[in-house]
Formats: sequence, structure tokens, C-alpha cells
Amino acid sequence: MRILIRFITKNAAGGVEYSDKIIEAPAITIGRATDQILQIRDRRVHLQHARIEPENGDVRIASTTLAGVSVNGRSQRETELKPGDVIEVGSNVLRVIQAPEGADFAISFELRDDATSEHVEQSWTTPTSGISGWSKRRISWVLLVAVLVLAFALPATTLLHPSLAKLVRGSSLLPDDGLWLAGPLHNAHSSTAAECETCHVNAFQRVPDVACMECHDASRHVAAETSPVLGEIRCATCHREHNEPAELVNRHQDLCADCHTALPDDIDLQPAGDFLDAHPDFRVSLNLPGPGETEWNIEHIRLADALTANRSNLKFDHKVHVAAEGILTPDGKRVIECAECHVPETGGARMLPVTMDDHCSGCHTLSFDPDDPARVVPHGDPAGVVQALVEYYSARLLGEGPDVVEQRVRRPGRALTREDRDRAAAEARQQALAVATDLFERQACSNCHEVSRRDDGELPWHVEPVKLSNDFFPHSDFSHAAHDTEVTGCDSCHDAQNSEAAEDLLIPDIDGCRECHGSGFANRNNAQQMPSTCVMCHSFHYDRKGVYGGSTP
Amino acid sequence: MHESLLVFRKRFYLWVALLLVAVSVAAYWYHDPQEPPNGGTLLGYTLGTVGALLIVWLAWFGVRKRSYASTLGTVQGWLSAHIYLGLALIVVVLLHAGFQFGWNVHTLAFVIMTLVIISGVFGVIVYLRYPERMSRNRGGAPRSELIDELEDIDRRSLRVAESLGADFHEFVASGVQRTQLGPTLWKRFRGRDSSQILLRQGGETVITANAGQEAALDWLAEQQSMSGDAETVSAISELSALIGNKRKLLRQLGADLKLQATLEIWLYVHVPLTVALLGALLVHIVTVFLYW
Repeated sequence: MRILIRFITKNAAGGVEYSDKIIEAPAITIGRATDQILQIRDRRVHLQHARIEPENGDVRIASTTLAGVSVNGRSQRETELKPGDVIEVGSNVLRVIQAPEGADFAISFELRDDATSEHVEQSWTTPTSGISGWSKRRISWVLLVAVLVLAFALPATTLLHPSLAKLVRGSSLLPDDGLWLAGPLHNAHSSTAAECETCHVNAFQRVPDVACMECHDASRHVAAETSPVLGEIRCATCHREHNEPAELVNRHQDLCADCHTALPDDIDLQPAGDFLDAHPDFRVSLNLPGPGETEWNIEHIRLADALTANRSNLKFDHKVHVAAEGILTPDGKRVIECAECHVPETGGARMLPVTMDDHCSGCHTLSFDPDDPARVVPHGDPAGVVQALVEYYSARLLGEGPDVVEQRVRRPGRALTREDRDRAAAEARQQALAVATDLFERQACSNCHEVSRRDDGELPWHVEPVKLSNDFFPHSDFSHAAHDTEVTGCDSCHDAQNSEAAEDLLIPDIDGCRECHGSGFANRNNAQQMPSTCVMCHSFHYDRKGVYGGSTP
Repeated sequence: MHESLLVFRKRFYLWVALLLVAVSVAAYWYHDPQEPPNGGTLLGYTLGTVGALLIVWLAWFGVRKRSYASTLGTVQGWLSAHIYLGLALIVVVLLHAGFQFGWNVHTLAFVIMTLVIISGVFGVIVYLRYPERMSRNRGGAPRSELIDELEDIDRRSLRVAESLGADFHEFVASGVQRTQLGPTLWKRFRGRDSSQILLRQGGETVITANAGQEAALDWLAEQQSMSGDAETVSAISELSALIGNKRKLLRQLGADLKLQATLEIWLYVHVPLTVALLGALLVHIVTVFLYW
């Protein structure tokens, strides 16, 4: 639309001057804003006050303001304009005039001189509204609602229904309750697949133990119901999730020591606190022979009282065996290493039991006939020894065995008579007993075993049964593998070089441990000591062993 | 005697804030929570409670400063405490969290809080520096003096333009009417001169940008070169000189408005983010106990 605007100016002399302007625009915009075609500097005029535009051949004026625009003295929201109409915008007057040749629409506008200065002051001083029309209040509302919706309302839909939870968590766009994580889950719990309710069973309640026991075997645990003294301790008291960089097991000393330094009277445990100075002396569990012949008792003895009490009915001299100058073996004289007998179990924690077959018989052969050194008596069966000897010598005299060495009673070409046989048998038995006496009382057996002579039994000898203590500390998780024994050497803890008796207990005392293991609090330790809390050696959850390593009483 | 808000009452609230920080740090140092420090320990809950109460109290400043009838301390005292305790808040909250961060609503609250505090520090700096810079920019005169001067130039320009005929008068009048710095806060902060002018280009009138009165001066130079009449030329050059002065004045005013806008605009970050922080704080507290 080609629009002619006639500006009417009153000059100083009172005369009137016209100036016409042709504007090519789809509409005439009228208002206070600078982007309006007809800008009117008047406080009463809105930024975008009115709009004149052609419509179906007519020209109409429409006002976006509440009051509308006054046309011919009447307020109108929208109306058609004809030449001669008078439009009032604030105190300004616009007149619709007959459009001249070349223009589609014409309007006259009187410029008011006083309008010029008024606006300037206005625009300089009045605080302008917000940033691009955004007031502080509006920005605040938008941010507040955004935070509440994105950080709470949307994630909270996961609480409403499992299917909603699945939808929200499955979507990569929607924020889910993963946003509420106070810290990452441990890998061990990744199988929960970010379903918070797996553990957080009830809203606004701490994770209950039953949630843990859904997956974890409760039978191996000291649960509150089996140990009432533990009171309100929950699984999560020691096993904290979402708390980097913690391990899933809280190893802090006070978790144990808070109670164990002062246990109730009815609990038969010594008070225990910081390993550095508040740990009781070690007690060892020893397998000791009881009053009866086959009776063995596990006894729990202060280590200081047990230094020579490790009775197993075995005779053994470590000093001779590990002597630096070596010991005579079938391979000649050589030094025996500890590891030849003391073999760690799989995983390296403890040592496998030492056995005759695996560790002793290499040197301590049970041979009895120098002419036949490969022939040995069985180990661990005294009656079998005599039996084997009788059989051996009978065969030798009677020549009926598969490996006859000697046939002293047989004459060539003649069968044995009954007398021959009886004589031979008696001779064989006599010889066997002589060799057995030698074995039991002087050579092989008595080297290592307590052998006594007795006349009442079937056999003239009694060998005391042997039982080695193998687990001196059933309630501590000592591991040889963790102690780098190849570097430190066995003798740094076990004084085998100076032990001449099997009863010697070669277990180091607590001071030996304290050379390297100190307080649970690093600041209490010296430079050689590492922080060592209770659970470094002791398990809270143990297989339900009795106090002394036996079964639960 | 004017007393800076930082040294209010011999920096009383500075010492209060330092005491709060010292106590928090000492507690953090001595407390052994039996696990990595976090918001869920005894100290964590304590510092969290202190932090949350501080946030609510700091936000309450927005209410207190509008309560003109209130006699609960002076607003200056409140502001001084607001500044120092707001800075101490960062330490309290960091210790509360045990320096643990993540992509979660808890760190969101911390980030928003940090932004609020940073914007507040900016606010303190501009409050302390800008009033003097504004005064220096205006040469000690009040702003109304610059505006009076501007109006005087406009009036004289219109009178000269009148003598040059309707075209010139209309040109100058449109330039006067459409002179504008800003007008929004953001444009003022950016130092935007959004003045316009109506220029006649080939029989048609075009609304042209007139930042720094450039378009006006260019148009006048063009008219001057096309005019042979000595009187007209001298009138146009007088007009040019006036508008040149106006340009200088507008620059000064623009700088003044920019400084003032800076004094106001940081609140557009500080206040809405504070409201967002209150929301995030609520979400933080609720969700922590929702999945306890």
C-alpha cells in the first residue's frame, strides 16, 4: 500500500507548513516504539498503539490496546476509515484525507513541538523494563518452575507406577530419578539396573536389611536377630552406597571398637580397641592331646603361655632340619628350604598340612632290610608293620612269595614237611619281631613318635597318635600371600633355626605384627607402620564357627 | 560520613563470617565420619542445616530491604552481613558436600548457589566502583544537566533546520524524536544507540538507523555538497556542528546509562537464580530423604 503522510508543522511565525511523505508499506503502524512508522512520543500512547491497513478494498484501523482508539470521538477497537475521519491517539490528532493521485491512502498528522523535549527526559530516566521484556519476577518464575519440574516432578513420576518408571527411565530425554543419585552405584550393585526401589523400598525410610537379603545370603551374616547386642546396626551402617570414593565395606575401626572396647559383662570376649595399644595379647587355638588315648581338645591359650605347649605327640627338631650347613639326605648333604614342607594352600593364605607321605618320607624311609632298601613298612599302622614284617620273613624262609630272596628251609627235590613249615614260620616271626623291635624302639618310628612298650595289648608297642595344630588363629584372616614372604623370609616371623622341640610354638606374638601394623588411625603410627583396622584381620561376617574355631555351641 | 558497606561497623560481619568458616573447617578437620566425608554424616547434616538456613536468610534480604518500616537492624547492616555470610556459605556448603560432585540435583543446587554468589560478588564490585565512575564520566554534573544540554542542542537544531525549509525541519525533527539509547536494560547495558531518523530517498521516506547520529551527519554532508547557496551551506554546517555536539553528548549519556544498567542488570541474574536456588534446595532436601 502506498501511503501518503502529510506532516503539518507550525513555524515560529505562526504559519503552517505541510510536508508530504510517501511510504510504501503493507500498513501504517502507530505507536511510541521506534519501529513504528508513525512514531508518537506521548506517554499515553502505547508502544504499538494502532494499525491502519487495507482489507477487502477498505482501509480499517484496529487497536491492540485495551482502550482502543478514538475515531470521530468514539472509542473503537476496529473500524473502517473514510476521508474526513479524525483519529485521536493520545493528544495527537490524525485526519484521514482524500488520497491524491499515486497514493492508496492519505493521512495528515500535526507535529507538536512540545512533544520533542518531553520524550527525551522520559526515555533517559525512567527505568526500562527488564531484558527483552523479561522482568526479574518473570525470569524467577520460569527458572523456579523449570527446576521443580525437571529436577523433581518428572523424575518423581517413577514413583507413581512401574510402567511409568520404565517409560521415564527408558527415555533418553526425560529426566529420571537417576538425577537424585547422591553418588554413583558400586559396580557390585549395577545389576539393580538403576531401579532405585530395589533397595529404597519405602519412600522417606532408610534402606532396610531385608532389601539386602533379597540377594545376599543372610545365613552367613550376623543379623540383628541373632545378635541382639548389635542393636540398631543395619547392613547399611557398614555398607554405604553412593558415597565415593568409599569401598562398599566400611573398614573404620570405630565401627567395631565403639562396642568392643567395653562389652557387656555377659559377653565372654576380651575388650579390644586400637591394634596399636588396645588389642589383647594373641591367643592361639591348639589341638592338644586329652586325657584319653584318642581324645583331642582344642584349647585357647594365651600365646605367651603356649610357647612350648604345642604338643602334638610328634618329635621334631626344626633346628636340625633347617641348619645352614645342611642335612644329610638321600641326595647328599643339602640345605632344606622351609617351602619344601610348608606349602601354601591355593590362594596362598595358609599352609597345607605337613604329611609323612609328602614331606617326610623322602628322607625318613621306613626300610628295614639293608639288602632290600626299597622294601618299606607301611606308615601309620603299627599292627600292619608287624604283619608286613612277618609276611616278608615268612616268604623269605618258605620261598613262596613272588620275590623270594632266600630259601633257607627248602631242600632241592623235596617238598616241605609240616615240621619244616612250622619251624620256618616260627623263625620268620622271631626275625620279624626282632626287626620290629629295632624299628619301633630304636630306628624309624621312635625318631619321630612317642613309642612305649606295653604288654597288655595285641602289640607290644604303643605309638601315641599325632595331631598337628593347623589353624592357630581361626578368627583372624591372616594370609601368607599378603605378606610377601619371599622377600621378608620365613625367619622374620618364625624362629625355626633355634627351635629344637616340636612343642615350640613358632607363631609370632603381637609385637611382631606391630612392627608393621599400627593403629587404625594413620596419625598414631610411626613411619614403618601401616594403618590397620579391625577388619584387616577379623571378619564381621564369618562362617558360623564357634568361638574357638569349632562348630557353633 | 559515608561508610562503605564492606567496613560497616568495623567489619563486624566479616569477623562473624570468618568465625563461621573457621568453625566449619575445624569441625571438618577433626570430625572422623568413619567414611568419606559427605552430607549424610553427623557433621554433614549439621553443615547442611546451617547452609540451608543461611540460604533462606540470605534470600530474606530481598524482603527485608523492601520493608521500609522494619526496625530489625539497618538495611546497610543487613547488606554487609548478606555479603560476608554469602561468601562464607560457599565454604560451609563445600564442607557439607565433602567435595563430592556429580550430575545430579544436589550438584545442581550447588552450581546455582555458586552462580548466585558470583553474581553477588559482581554486584558488590559494581556497587563500590560504578557510582564514582558514573560521576567521573559526567564530569561531576548530574545527568539532568546532560539532558538539558541535549534538549538545548535539539531546540537550536530545530530552529536552524526551520530556516532551511520543511525538508530539513522534518529531517531534524524526526532525528530528535527518534533519538534513543536503549531503551531496554539489555540494550543500555550493551551500550546500544538505537536512534533512528527519517530520510528521504528518491521520493520516499525511509526509517534509517541513526546510531551515533551517523546517518544524520552523512545526510547533512550530502546536502551540503549538493548546495551552491552560501547561506544554506553555512546553515547546514551549523546544523552539522550541532549534531556533532549531540553525538558527543549521546556518547557520554550512553556511557552513563551503560554504567547504570550494569548496576541493575546483575540483579537479573542474582535474584531469579536465588529463587531457582530455593527450589533446587527444596528438591535437594526432599530427594535425599525420599531415597534415604
